[in-house]
Amino acid sequence: MTTGQANRPFEITEDMLHGYVDGQLPPAQRASVEAWLATHAEKAAEVAQWRRQNAALTTLFGPVAGEPLPDRLNPRRIAARNAARQWDWTRLAAAAIVVIAVSVGAGWFLRTATWQEEPRSDRLIDGALLAHSLYVKESRHAVEVAADDKAHLVTWLSNRLGRPIDTPDLAPEGFTLVGGRLLPPLPDTGTGPAAQLMYQNKTSNRLTVYITAAINPPGPAYKTYTEDGLEAYYWANSQITCTVIGDLPQSDMTTVARGVFQQLTWRPDPTGRT
Amino acid sequence: MSDFLDEIEACVPALRRYARALTRDADRADDLVQDCLERAIRKRALWRPTGPLQAWLFRMLLNLYRNDIRRQRRRGEHTPLETMAIEPTTPAAQHGHLALAEVQRALDKLPEEQREALLLVVVEGQSYLEAAQILEIPAGTLMSRLGRARAALRVLTGTAEEPRLRTVK
Repeated sequence: MTTGQANRPFEITEDMLHGYVDGQLPPAQRASVEAWLATHAEKAAEVAQWRRQNAALTTLFGPVAGEPLPDRLNPRRIAARNAARQWDWTRLAAAAIVVIAVSVGAGWFLRTATWQEEPRSDRLIDGALLAHSLYVKESRHAVEVAADDKAHLVTWLSNRLGRPIDTPDLAPEGFTLVGGRLLPPLPDTGTGPAAQLMYQNKTSNRLTVYITAAINPPGPAYKTYTEDGLEAYYWANSQITCTVIGDLPQSDMTTVARGVFQQLTWRPDPTGRT
Repeated sequence: MSDFLDEIEACVPALRRYARALTRDADRADDLVQDCLERAIRKRALWRPTGPLQAWLFRMLLNLYRNDIRRQRRRGEHTPLETMAIEPTTPAAQHGHLALAEVQRALDKLPEEQREALLLVVVEGQSYLEAAQILEIPAGTLMSRLGRARAALRVLTGTAEEPRLRTVK
């Protein structure tokens, strides 16, 4: 672009002409380009056009640099936000490590404590109790699908369990359906996902019905379990397992559980209706 | 870090202007600049850029812009020609001036590489050396892109004929 022979006009190069237009020539070369242009009208006209192009481009876009900057282009804000984000991430990572450590520890503990000893039915009861304790406390998120969408709830859960599930009517016992949700399979039970139905009475007392596909081998047909004031009624047939959990007085629980049992179990041909 | 942020802040108006000239879309341009600043600030935590900060930022902005173009092409989108920095109704031309709208339309028709080079030199006022470094091309390539861009603009704005007509007269 810049070759030294400033005083020899015949050495003027195209690059020098660009340099002239863009103000990137040393003064000596500038002068010789000007002198050369004075005798080359056609090139001078072209260079004049370049200048006009430059002027037009500068007019078009120059003012953008004077516009007030929006907040989102403020480097300090960006830096502050990055720092906050990084902090979030660090905390999240720390939390994840704790969760993993606890899960692995708990998993190992449960495994050693229960391996080959605890029947699958007990594991299902445990799972049902955990799910019960977790979700009966929720107000807005107690269920995934509410009772007002019962048809969908029934179809969905039946499909996911691979079993026709109906929602027992517990009105005679004073309970109405709140809704239901799908829960992940419990490890080492081989039953696939579980459905949890939740019911509530007028005093906002809640009970849940935890249903899975049948286990194989079937194990005990009937079990009860009491823990921390919670009553669990479990039974199994060739199609499903079902655990009813609540904290009603035992006699009431028995009544409710029997209601559930009758409605869910005594179906002439369960595979015939979906 | 705070000196670095000051230095970056000083570059923002120019980055913004260049992005606007390239994209001709204020929001898209600011998105690119924001992305560029975020990357710069994030990377700064890891290493110190060698060479002038402004060139580093421009290089990053260009890469983001090129990625953006590639993505848009894949999606088959087009920036509407109507999104202009300045109203295209600007009346043409006092004598000896080029109609801005016409220049803008002509600019849109330039190949990317020529437009990037021309705007870097003319609008951003970068020296040829800096511009070549930002574009990561040899100085000779920069000059030839500049030459081709200017020649194309003359043809596209219909001013290339002017001198010949004059000589005919």
